[in-house]
Amino acid sequence: MENSTQESHLLPNNTLVTYDSPYPLYAMSFSLSSAGISRRSSDQIIAVGSFIEEYNNRIDILTFDEQTLTQNLSFPHPYPPTKLMFQPSASSPPILASSADFLRLYSFKNDSIELVSKLNNSKSSDFCAPLTSFDWNDVVPQRIGTSSIDTTCTIWDIEKCVVETQLIAHDKEVYDIAWGEAGVFASVSADGSVRIFDLRDKEHSTIVYESPEPDTPLLRLAWNKQDLRYMATTLMDSNKVVILDIRSPTMPVAEFERHQASVNAVAWAPHSGRHICSVGDDSQALIWELPTVASPNGIDPLSMYNAGSEINQLQWSAAQPEWISIAFSNKLQLLRV
Amino acid sequence: MDEVNLRDGGELSNELPSSSPSLASGFFPRQLAFRPYVFSQESSNKSKALRVVVRRPLVAKLTKHIVETYQECNPDFKYTDELNLKRFLTSPSDGVFNDGHDNATSDLILSVNYALVNSHTQRRYVVKDILGHGTFGQVAKCWVPDTNSFVAVKIIKNQPAYYQQAWVEVSILTTLNKKLDPEDKHHIVRIHDYFVFQRHLCISFELLDTNLYELIKLNNFKGLSLSIVQLFSKQILRGLGLMKDAGIIHCDLKPENILLCTSMKPAEIKIIDFGSACMEDKTVYSYIQSRYYRSPEVLLGYQYTTAIDMWSFGCIVAELFLGLPLFPGASEFDLLRRMIRILGGQPPDYLLKDAKSTNKFFKFVGSVDHVDAGHDSMGGRSAYQALSEEEYEAREKKKPMIGKEYFNYMNLEGIVVAYPYKKNLPEEDIIKERQVRLALIDFLRGLVEFDPAKRWSPFQALKHPFVTGEPFTSPYIPVSETPHVPVSTVSQNFKVDHHPGGGHWFAAGLSPHVSGRTVSMHASPHIQIQPYAQSSSYGSLGSHNSYNDGNMLGSSYGSYGDNFNTFTYFSPGCQSTMNVHTQGGKAMVGNSPDTRWKIYHRPQGPHGLGVSPSAGNFAPFPLGISPSQFTPPSSFTQNSGSPGHYSAASPARGNCQGSPLGKGIAVSNFNRRKSWGHSGNMQSQEGTSTAHCQGQLSGGLCFSQGEGNTQSQVPGGPLHIPINSNMSSWKPPSGSSNISTDNSFSHMPISGLHGSSLQFSQIKRPVDEKLDVTALPDPGDWDPNYSDELLLQEDSSDVSSITSAFGKVVNIDQATTSPQTFGFGTYSHDSNAVSNATWRPSGPAQAFSKPDMNSPPAHNLPLGYGRSMLRAPQYMSQLSPTSLSRLGQPPTQRTNHGRSSVTYGNEGIHMRPHHNSYSYDPGYPHNSMPWGMHKLDPDISSSSKFVFPHM
Repeated sequence: MENSTQESHLLPNNTLVTYDSPYPLYAMSFSLSSAGISRRSSDQIIAVGSFIEEYNNRIDILTFDEQTLTQNLSFPHPYPPTKLMFQPSASSPPILASSADFLRLYSFKNDSIELVSKLNNSKSSDFCAPLTSFDWNDVVPQRIGTSSIDTTCTIWDIEKCVVETQLIAHDKEVYDIAWGEAGVFASVSADGSVRIFDLRDKEHSTIVYESPEPDTPLLRLAWNKQDLRYMATTLMDSNKVVILDIRSPTMPVAEFERHQASVNAVAWAPHSGRHICSVGDDSQALIWELPTVASPNGIDPLSMYNAGSEINQLQWSAAQPEWISIAFSNKLQLLRV
Repeated sequence: MDEVNLRDGGELSNELPSSSPSLASGFFPRQLAFRPYVFSQESSNKSKALRVVVRRPLVAKLTKHIVETYQECNPDFKYTDELNLKRFLTSPSDGVFNDGHDNATSDLILSVNYALVNSHTQRRYVVKDILGHGTFGQVAKCWVPDTNSFVAVKIIKNQPAYYQQAWVEVSILTTLNKKLDPEDKHHIVRIHDYFVFQRHLCISFELLDTNLYELIKLNNFKGLSLSIVQLFSKQILRGLGLMKDAGIIHCDLKPENILLCTSMKPAEIKIIDFGSACMEDKTVYSYIQSRYYRSPEVLLGYQYTTAIDMWSFGCIVAELFLGLPLFPGASEFDLLRRMIRILGGQPPDYLLKDAKSTNKFFKFVGSVDHVDAGHDSMGGRSAYQALSEEEYEAREKKKPMIGKEYFNYMNLEGIVVAYPYKKNLPEEDIIKERQVRLALIDFLRGLVEFDPAKRWSPFQALKHPFVTGEPFTSPYIPVSETPHVPVSTVSQNFKVDHHPGGGHWFAAGLSPHVSGRTVSMHASPHIQIQPYAQSSSYGSLGSHNSYNDGNMLGSSYGSYGDNFNTFTYFSPGCQSTMNVHTQGGKAMVGNSPDTRWKIYHRPQGPHGLGVSPSAGNFAPFPLGISPSQFTPPSSFTQNSGSPGHYSAASPARGNCQGSPLGKGIAVSNFNRRKSWGHSGNMQSQEGTSTAHCQGQLSGGLCFSQGEGNTQSQVPGGPLHIPINSNMSSWKPPSGSSNISTDNSFSHMPISGLHGSSLQFSQIKRPVDEKLDVTALPDPGDWDPNYSDELLLQEDSSDVSSITSAFGKVVNIDQATTSPQTFGFGTYSHDSNAVSNATWRPSGPAQAFSKPDMNSPPAHNLPLGYGRSMLRAPQYMSQLSPTSLSRLGQPPTQRTNHGRSSVTYGNEGIHMRPHHNSYSYDPGYPHNSMPWGMHKLDPDISSSSKFVFPHM
């Protein structure tokens, strides 16, 4: 941080901005607004987490003013965060959550940041079941769901700091979770399934997809907030982006296979129900449109971007949908679309 | 990196600085940072090059490998999955018994990834999910690390009754799988392993797919296409044939217990859940079968045989076509009422006379004499009348539950014909389907046949045009049952037919066939008679079972014999039956030929009785049940052996039902049956059958038995032969019947002929050689009327004898040669006509035919053996059904078994005895009892249904 370079590469037409960090980056999140962090409402706030294989990692808060990316805060975090996320609804002050060994909530105050809570659902002080991901419910802001390798998903009430419920969601580790509506979430697991849960009926879940090779882990899941019929998931060591329609379980509506290496992250367009971006180890970021008809030769993406090295992370700004951020190596890059 | 980025970025930006097109409707990525997609082999290579460095994506490091990653970050980081919450699959999941391993219902508490271990082999079964549960316990889908495959493991409750019953299932399935069907060609679920874990018996089965009920449900309860119905029917029949040969009664056949196999191109199904199964000679429980699929004899508390599975099978076939159960009875009263309305008619008097629960559903309106005379239908009026709702309510003090009417009060023909055709079917296809539907109706008529003795056996049903796909031109008349030959082959039976009489004889076994034949047995002749029979055709059914036993005895044939007998018996008994018998008889016996013919000749009258003659002999045997009867003995044997076998199977649904009991095991024996060959005879009948039947019945029976006929009888035999000719025709069904009947008569030869039926079977085979049977003649025997009952009554003994005879016969068959000796009687009366004379003696007397039925008695004598059969035969007929019991002839029966063998032995035939036993039931009084086991089990089945857990 102190050494963090604040280079910003302003390209013609301001279509691409790069931020170089002193360490490799993984977790990343756009805030919905800059209120409480930046004085200019047009600024965008981005939180980015380091991936350092040491206990001490860092979270940096960057400000993007349409021209440059500037770090204005940095604080330590134990272990590399598996996910960072700003509260999805406007709040003041803004709250940032992180998942790693526990779920942590940070609040911004006066240009500084403070740990508000550390939510731990572990029954043992000797052992810890790391959280692989979490998602903040955008309808019920006090509700966060976490996924863990202990096969469960835990639903927290972060205002009361209590566990609303804990579900044994899968038969193996749970790797990602995503809310659909207030009481409905989906999760993916090492058991190769995508399951949908409804908090009103915790005894049952619906399997909407199972990976073709038994037990091929599903690592990431993205629910289309513009059109809740669709969700996307990725398989471990697979170049496919699998698009599911929850109305037709088990049969994907589309499989995008133009990446030439494994897909690492996917993000639905925040302003279009038919577009999704994916990034992978082939250094590419691809933007796709859901096909209306099946194509015998597979589906081509609409456009592509090559970052030059494996892209690990991807976020699409909900506040300013013309910006997509990607993380590769120790760089964070904003791409205008 | 920066350079790279710049370069890339620069290129991009340069190329598409300007705004990009955007869809009117909304978002479209502009050519800013991104550029249009172009497949780039270059980039592809590049990325591969980059990949040279083995890199684990961060997303994998923070998911799949997060524990390693965090331990790298912090050596003190510790994670263990032992603290993970368990996803319980068992409910309730609180440990109550067995040191906390079991819940309050004694089920082992399972959770995902719980490992069941076979302590002997150390093989592990990792529980992944619950497939279902029932009164017996649970069925879990397990992953086997050793084989990297999934299986269905039935985990039995930790309670003695369930534990014991499950061993029966293991024993039965092991027998069916390993001994009888090593190549897995009979559509019966495979049992892979079994072991005790935490005091729970665990049985591992192959993992199957959805069941037929679920399949129909998926089809929105619309019927499946006729080609699928035909395909499934054939497969189920192969399984039922194997079970019949083994003398194993499933006792809970229903769509839920027939599962699709996983990923088979051509749809393949398997029969599961042998948790309620029993050996035919150890029918302990009376409350069996799921209600919709419950057979009349079980509903009424009569002895039962493998024929009850054929009833259930008929219900299933109808349901596959209709999408709805044929008899969705809301109560047993409602069930019976639906049967009577849809099928027309009612259970035969011989059955009503001895069934334990007849009074619950029927009132007696005839005279005792009438009943004794064995008249039944066909013309005659039944001595029993079904209670109306009001009468039932008055008796039971409560209104009977009546279910919804789905078929608009139509009869079977109306229901099938009026069932909606698939939409948009071309006219030509409609015409084609219309024909197939007619075949289906004829097929169903042979399966959902009130008289267990006339109901077709699996082997007979397999030859039906609906199953074979041959054009359906006229009502199918099965060959007499003869035994199927051993397991598989019915063919043998057929052979029998060949013999002279072939088919006709069936029953008869009597027909002594030609003398020569050893076997002769069969009086078959009678059978022929049958002609009528229409029903007859089916008739046979029952028989089979019996036979088996017989076989046992006889060994080779044994089986057949039994069956045949059975049939035979039946026939006699009931008219219908008779027919059947007849047919059967034919088959069996080999007599067929003779029989038939004779029968015809005789038919009517005389014969019937054929039995008579034999009767004497038989007596012993039970004719009644023919099949059964025989069986017994054999059964025993077999059984014994078998024992272990049963298995449970049915993983899935489980059902299990009930059954704790274990029913018998015996099973094994049955198999043997095969031998029969007779069957063939039976067939012949068919055609005839009908005719026969009647005739036969009447007289019919007699038979053949043939005894010794056979050989000697031969005479008869010869005669028969002619007749036989027909035989061929027949096939199955009849045969049996006939035989039986006839048998009685005659034959005695040993035993009897009667035994005929059995004999036949046996004979037949042999028969063929011998056939003789002849006897059959008496159609009368067959006569439906004559019914077994008569026989039964008469002498049970006779029956027995007969049975025995059969048994012997059976043996004979096998032995054939030797047997011949037995030859039983065959002859049968009627047959007489034929040569018979010999036999027949009685035969005529018998008269059976219906009338006579009883008569039989006479015969017996002769032979000694047996049982003469005769009557027995008749009985048998009835018996057929179960045979045993019925026939029961009490005396006989039991005896039979034991004796049977013996007897035969003596005679050479041993078998016979057995036969008898079984068979008879029918008529005979006793009988029933003997077996009687039934009981309880009630619906186990029902209970069984599993519940599915999540997902």
